[in-house]
Amino acid sequence: MVVVGIEAMNVFGGSAYLDVMQLAQHRQLDPARFENLLMKEKAVALPYEDPVTFGVNAAKPLVDALSEAEKNRIEMLITCTESGIDFGKSISTYIHHYLGLNRNCRLFELKQACYSGTAGLQMAVNFILSQVSPGAKALVIASDISRFIAAEGGDVLSEDWSYAEPSGGAGAVAMLISENPHVFQIDAGANGYYGYEVMDTCRPIPDSEAGDADLSLMSYLDCCEQAFLEYQKRVKGVDYKDTFQYLAFHTPFGGMVKGAHRTMMRRLTQSKPNEIEADYLQRVKPGLAYCQRVGNIMGATLYLSLAGTIDQGTFDAPKRIGCFSYGSGCCSEFYSGVVMPQSQEHLRRFEIERNLNDRYQLSMDEYESLLKGSGAVRFGTRNAKLDFQLIPGVIASGKGRQRLYLEEIYEFHRKYRWES
Amino acid sequence: MHKEEVFDIVKRCIREVLPELQDHTFEYGDRLVDLGADSVDRAEIVNKTMETLSLHIPRVELSGVKNIGELTDALYAKL
Repeated sequence: MVVVGIEAMNVFGGSAYLDVMQLAQHRQLDPARFENLLMKEKAVALPYEDPVTFGVNAAKPLVDALSEAEKNRIEMLITCTESGIDFGKSISTYIHHYLGLNRNCRLFELKQACYSGTAGLQMAVNFILSQVSPGAKALVIASDISRFIAAEGGDVLSEDWSYAEPSGGAGAVAMLISENPHVFQIDAGANGYYGYEVMDTCRPIPDSEAGDADLSLMSYLDCCEQAFLEYQKRVKGVDYKDTFQYLAFHTPFGGMVKGAHRTMMRRLTQSKPNEIEADYLQRVKPGLAYCQRVGNIMGATLYLSLAGTIDQGTFDAPKRIGCFSYGSGCCSEFYSGVVMPQSQEHLRRFEIERNLNDRYQLSMDEYESLLKGSGAVRFGTRNAKLDFQLIPGVIASGKGRQRLYLEEIYEFHRKYRWES
Repeated sequence: MHKEEVFDIVKRCIREVLPELQDHTFEYGDRLVDLGADSVDRAEIVNKTMETLSLHIPRVELSGVKNIGELTDALYAKL
């Protein structure tokens, strides 16, 4: 059987961000409670950014690093999102166009809340493993933008939903899946999946979302356990503590992952609290590094955690990473893969951390004006021209790198422009 | 097991997660959110209670309770 996995991956964590501590002070949230969220910054999408620009900006450096011949072997472009801009036309069509990919390519979009990125990755993995087109590559792009303003009215689905504001982010992760898994080699067939119908968080109306924080957290924890138990049933000799040198989690906010890890360790390994804390620092914390600076980017969040783990971990020898994906509604999966010592160098070519450092920092006033809908394009907009100078300095912060932004919507058709 | 014993376990687990409530007198109508428990704390309290009672049921079946009295009722019904 051929090997399969991630040949290259890159993260786009926004053009602008907000310091969430400032937000907490501004909203007069309890600082102690706020610390437990374990969040530092969150990316904020500007009106002229959408899931297409985020996706293209994540994938562009990765595609540019390929030779023409390699690029032409991309035969499948899967976009994974819950922030779609059209019920019919998928954002993969726009992304395919702006990346200049070969037309002999399957284009489509997947949805299952925050599980979408994993659905896309696994579909791509199976395409490569099936060997129906030997040597082909698949490009998987998970791209999501928060619409954290809670739906008004109703009792259950908006209560205590305010915690979503400091953790809701915007961003995309692009992954090239092929027979050359330089960054992350998938353990083929080692998958535990678990799903059922539950109404925990959802996007039932355009430009907004709703959720029940307690139900969502309970469902996440149930799935974390059940998906792992299924993985363990299918893979011989697996131990939660020893089989995986690192763990990457879907990360709605850091505190939730810390809690899930604590629960899993207590139930599956009977570890003491101090052992659990040491294990968290060793195996889980590296994966929080970028999640804490970008926020929850739904379908792409697990891959933000995986990128953080590979970038920030220590890989002097091959190491196995256990990955847990959860998408409300719900579907979940536990799977794994192996990172080689040279994988880190391969990932670091794209300077994810430096790009995060170079983002424009929004003031509270600028953020509030965006919140009030200044310049925003709502779902279903027919015609609009976007103002790149809405907040001077944002586009300049990306100077030296090619970035795509939404310039205009003409009769529903979106037109984008490169800036560098 | 009597319901009062389940309530005692719930109270003990709340105090483990939120030690500042050591001297608090718990009432059935107390809401965890009012006692200062965030969403992760609330899940942790439910986890610990289930573990103490050796209950193996989906956690989602315990969501939707409005106060610690209803939590006690829901747990008691699953025993």
